[in-house]
Amino acid sequence: MKSVLLVVFIALLAACSTAPYQSLDQEQVRTSDVLDTLPSWYHHNLGLQLNGGNQYPEQQALASLLKQADLEFIRGNFQACQILLERAQRISTREPSVYVRLSYLFWLESNTQSAEQMARRALALVVRDPVAAQEVKRLLLAIQANQY
Amino acid sequence: MKHTNTSRFKTFMSWVFKLSLVGIVVLAILMAYMDAKVREKFEGKRWALPAKVFARPLELYPGLALQPKYLIQELDQIGYQRVPNVVTPGQYSFNGDEMDVFRRYVKLYDGEEPSARVHMRFSAGTIESLWLDGQPVGLARLEPLLIGGIYPKHNEDRQLIQLEEAPSLLLKTLVAVEDRDYYNHFGISLKGIARAMVVNVQRGGLVQGGSTLTQQLVKNFFLTRERTLVRKATEALMAILVELHYSKDDILETYLNEVYLGQSGRRAIHGFGLASQFYFGKHISRLSPPEIATLVGMVKGPSVYNPKRKPENAKARRNVVLDVMNQHGLISNYEFAVWQKRELDVVQYSQYQRIEYPAFLQLVRRQLRSDYADSDLTSEGLRIYTSLDPIIQRRAEHAMSNRLASLESGYRMPKDSLQGAMVIAGTESGEVEAVVGDRNPRYFGFNRALDANRSIGSLAKPAVYLTALRSPQYNFITPLDDSEIKIAGANGSVWQPQNYDKDSHGIVPLYQAMSRSLNQATARLGLQIGLKNVVQTFHDLGVSRDIPAYPSIVLGAFEMNPFDVAQMYQTIAASGFQTPLKAIRGVTTQDGQLLSRYGYDVKQSIKTEPIYLLQKIMQRVVKEGTARYLNSQFDDSLNLAGKTGTSDSQRDSWFAGFSGDKLAVVWVGRDDNESMPLTGSSGALRVWAETFKGLPLKPLYPLPTENIVEQWVDIEQNAISSEDCDGAVQLPFIQGRLPLQTLNCAQAPTPSTSKSWWSRMFD
Repeated sequence: MKSVLLVVFIALLAACSTAPYQSLDQEQVRTSDVLDTLPSWYHHNLGLQLNGGNQYPEQQALASLLKQADLEFIRGNFQACQILLERAQRISTREPSVYVRLSYLFWLESNTQSAEQMARRALALVVRDPVAAQEVKRLLLAIQANQY
Repeated sequence: MKHTNTSRFKTFMSWVFKLSLVGIVVLAILMAYMDAKVREKFEGKRWALPAKVFARPLELYPGLALQPKYLIQELDQIGYQRVPNVVTPGQYSFNGDEMDVFRRYVKLYDGEEPSARVHMRFSAGTIESLWLDGQPVGLARLEPLLIGGIYPKHNEDRQLIQLEEAPSLLLKTLVAVEDRDYYNHFGISLKGIARAMVVNVQRGGLVQGGSTLTQQLVKNFFLTRERTLVRKATEALMAILVELHYSKDDILETYLNEVYLGQSGRRAIHGFGLASQFYFGKHISRLSPPEIATLVGMVKGPSVYNPKRKPENAKARRNVVLDVMNQHGLISNYEFAVWQKRELDVVQYSQYQRIEYPAFLQLVRRQLRSDYADSDLTSEGLRIYTSLDPIIQRRAEHAMSNRLASLESGYRMPKDSLQGAMVIAGTESGEVEAVVGDRNPRYFGFNRALDANRSIGSLAKPAVYLTALRSPQYNFITPLDDSEIKIAGANGSVWQPQNYDKDSHGIVPLYQAMSRSLNQATARLGLQIGLKNVVQTFHDLGVSRDIPAYPSIVLGAFEMNPFDVAQMYQTIAASGFQTPLKAIRGVTTQDGQLLSRYGYDVKQSIKTEPIYLLQKIMQRVVKEGTARYLNSQFDDSLNLAGKTGTSDSQRDSWFAGFSGDKLAVVWVGRDDNESMPLTGSSGALRVWAETFKGLPLKPLYPLPTENIVEQWVDIEQNAISSEDCDGAVQLPFIQGRLPLQTLNCAQAPTPSTSKSWWSRMFD
């Protein structure tokens, strides 16, 4: 009985989900733009503002890790996502979008303290870019107000 | 008379019977005890498996600054074989600017990397392009170097194998050489004992034992090495019990994993699985017949027939084993003739013949202590993935031992009188990449990087100046008084700090007081801003120990160890964002299940603006101050920053320096705390320079904020000036904390014959 209920519950969740990630496989990842699959809030708050029109950074290694991290993020594999972001950080210690992503990640895990610190780290790195700075400040304020 | 004799006989028999009964009961109890012991050992966990500790996996990507020679060193260390053309995993080729690495399958705490062919093209010490199995890629990882283990007290190490993994030739040879009746006896071999007795009588001494494999196993598992009859009897009884309970295959598999096969430093090599990796750099299933003969030959005497230490003995013994193999029809006459002439072919480098990094391993163990019991670390076969960078570690070790020796000869100090320690970490990640705890980096003992608490001297000064820059009353050029100063102590004593050159320098701008490490100006500044505030800044920078609010703390008259100093400077290097220094990334079980992960954590503990100014001053320490030696050693564009430190009476020589990506703290001193003819600049700084010379560093660009302004000022007048004014220099300020006066350029006195000393500095 319990397992039947579980199956029904999972089916219900799947039906409610708008993210098309169920069909993603390695082949598709290679051929499609991962950003297209991101939820709109993520799209607006991260890719667009920080990377100038949804572009991943030019550095291939960094872009590759961020793409994989985004994929794990939308799959809900937050630990895998965080590990990939930490690898990205080691390669490019001053890439603000790494810290913004980490901030979102901690926020979604209800770790607002770490989320705020990651956002602060990002802010220190984008301060000379007014558009990005504005966006990170908005994120910081939202975290501080604990609104999502 | 007859009656008396009969009565005595009856009494005697009665005693015999009683004693026999007691003997049987005692024997039964003994057997039951031994049986329990045997079953407990065989049915429980048979061996304590030490945790294995790995370095970071090397991430390869286009744009990575990496000298091919360092990559080759690492590949050699992880046991890759250099060949003209790579064919199988574990090989690499290099032709000057192109490298092919056939990567082995590797399992890490965060996933796995399949076996693949990694091709790199180098240009000017940088990876220009990268392919994986023929496809251009942005990233590829290599397998990490095994850097040590966390062993139980007896230091046994082994790599467990199952019977089916062992080549049948190995099993047949082992049985033929050590116990040819193995499959027929019940634990002890009467034939074997008789044969040994004959040989011993013929040779007139104890030259051959009649122990079966089961007896050898029992001896290793439960008994001592002493040669007594009681011990031999116990061994025989236990061997019979083992055979009663367990199959021949089970006993043989246990033997293969238990047998002692040599020593590597403090580490004891047990079992054929580890031995085949250690001596031949290959899995047991890939051993060749002569290699099998070498290993089986070692069983008789792992030290006497050690192929690395005593190759002649080992070769002779191998040939004896090959002869036995030939007699038993395991190899042909032709093979015997060819193989007995073959070299031993032991590997020079292999993952399992590793160089250990004791100082780093100690740090790993300490950081794991809060999450794991010692027994887990020494017995569960955990896999610990760390951030150690073998390339940097090697450079640091070499620089420390090399430079200390040359300092001793250069300053005519007794040989081996100096000691040193170093901690290197990523500035932003806080990951510890190298630790040196002794000038002999292989020494397992007192770890100065973690445990040598020494006066930090002028390394304390950045905290004092940072305290000032956090307060609205101070800016980059605030004039400080570097005249003599006397401070009365509580018990009538007087503290009178002096500058290193014993001179006073009058009024100096704040940034120069620090870049020139002026003690009098710093002492006065510390008192002005308040000692409690200075202590608070130390804590904000990550110093967790208690610091008493005495005046002398501003000149570092308190003790810290290099690791804690590195934590303090990490906060400075990362623009006020403190990350706890960590050596571990993740821990998995033996079969790869993730147990714990140690991720990136950060906390902004200092505002970015005052740290920005402090970094700028610390860059001047390198450009024109006490660390200017680095100018001659490194490219200007790196904009390195740092601080030298020399404690009272020159007992300690320190340097803490950082680039855009690496931070290193170096301490040099004597264990007996005697003074040396060395300062921070002439001692520790030289070790730092030698470490990073030739290693790729990223330039340091302090992070400005919208509140930082670059302003033209006149330092002498402590006033705002303009670009076209004489003596004007452009310096950074926090918005709202500019000099109060503004100089009218046209009215400013123009020195006709000489310029002020600070104006000259900017010409």
